[in-house]
Amino acid sequence: MQDAITALINSSDVQGRYLDNASVQKLKSYFDSGEMRARTAIAISANATSLVTRAVAQSLMYTDITAPGGNMYTCRRYAACIRDLDYFLRYATYAMLAGDPSILDERILNGLRETYNSLGVPIGATIRAVQAMKDVTTDLVGAEAGKEMGVYFDYIAAGLS
Amino acid sequence: MSIITRAIASADREARYLSYGELQAIRDFYEAGPQRLRIASILAENESQIVQLGSQRFWQRCPYTPSNSGNPTFRASCMRDQGWYVRLIVYSVIVGDVEPLQRIGVNGAKEMYTSLEIPLRNLVEALRCLKEVALEMMTVEDASEVAPYFDYLIQGMMP
Repeated sequence: MQDAITALINSSDVQGRYLDNASVQKLKSYFDSGEMRARTAIAISANATSLVTRAVAQSLMYTDITAPGGNMYTCRRYAACIRDLDYFLRYATYAMLAGDPSILDERILNGLRETYNSLGVPIGATIRAVQAMKDVTTDLVGAEAGKEMGVYFDYIAAGLS
Repeated sequence: MSIITRAIASADREARYLSYGELQAIRDFYEAGPQRLRIASILAENESQIVQLGSQRFWQRCPYTPSNSGNPTFRASCMRDQGWYVRLIVYSVIVGDVEPLQRIGVNGAKEMYTSLEIPLRNLVEALRCLKEVALEMMTVEDASEVAPYFDYLIQGMMP
């Protein structure tokens, strides 16, 4: 797992160099955005459950997927769906704090598509839910922070598709 | 590992969000970021001078050492390694953690130097000199930010 800082250090070390100007600038703007990141993380952690609820309501709840024969039909499957969305939100928040998406690969994306395919979980619907989560999160935290969170939601969506 | 990845890893082990206290510590870390970058740039810009002055001081204290034996290769590699250690300390200052120093420069270093027949006692003295000249270039506050990394390195090389 790495963050914006350790990522730059690791790539500098491979070349045996100090951080170049561009890297230093990147770090400066990362530190500058720190207050926003911490505030966003607080807001999301306080509202995590309702964010997932609203994302599901917006994207999946009133579609065929929750009807008999759909992939969220039976409460057990519904529960598995919101559990996974919960994970996505928490890991996207971690990645946003770190300013680096590597944790998403390491902890959720590696092998996820294969797992979903083997379990018959529809990827398209999952991505729709992730996109909805991006929207409801932006509603909560505001445009600037929402854009930053969006980077990591998009990363999850891209990793699934 | 910075304080950020550390806090994330520990929150993840418990499948929870970061606590308010953890976020508060991360906030302080973000806030002190520009300060750490500034100190790092002092070290980076003065690397060759630090190595130069540190080596001279070292050879005064330990005249009988491979790098002072007249062999130019030994001398050059001693100074090159010192430069590398300055670089690793710069990384650590930026991350605010000894991890880069430990992972890249300390783990296995004693064994390596021993197999190269470098006297560890002298190496430790060289690093002490490096620390002295580096800290002499800084304000007391900046020095107190950097000193622990040198101390960690010196401790890690103790025979």
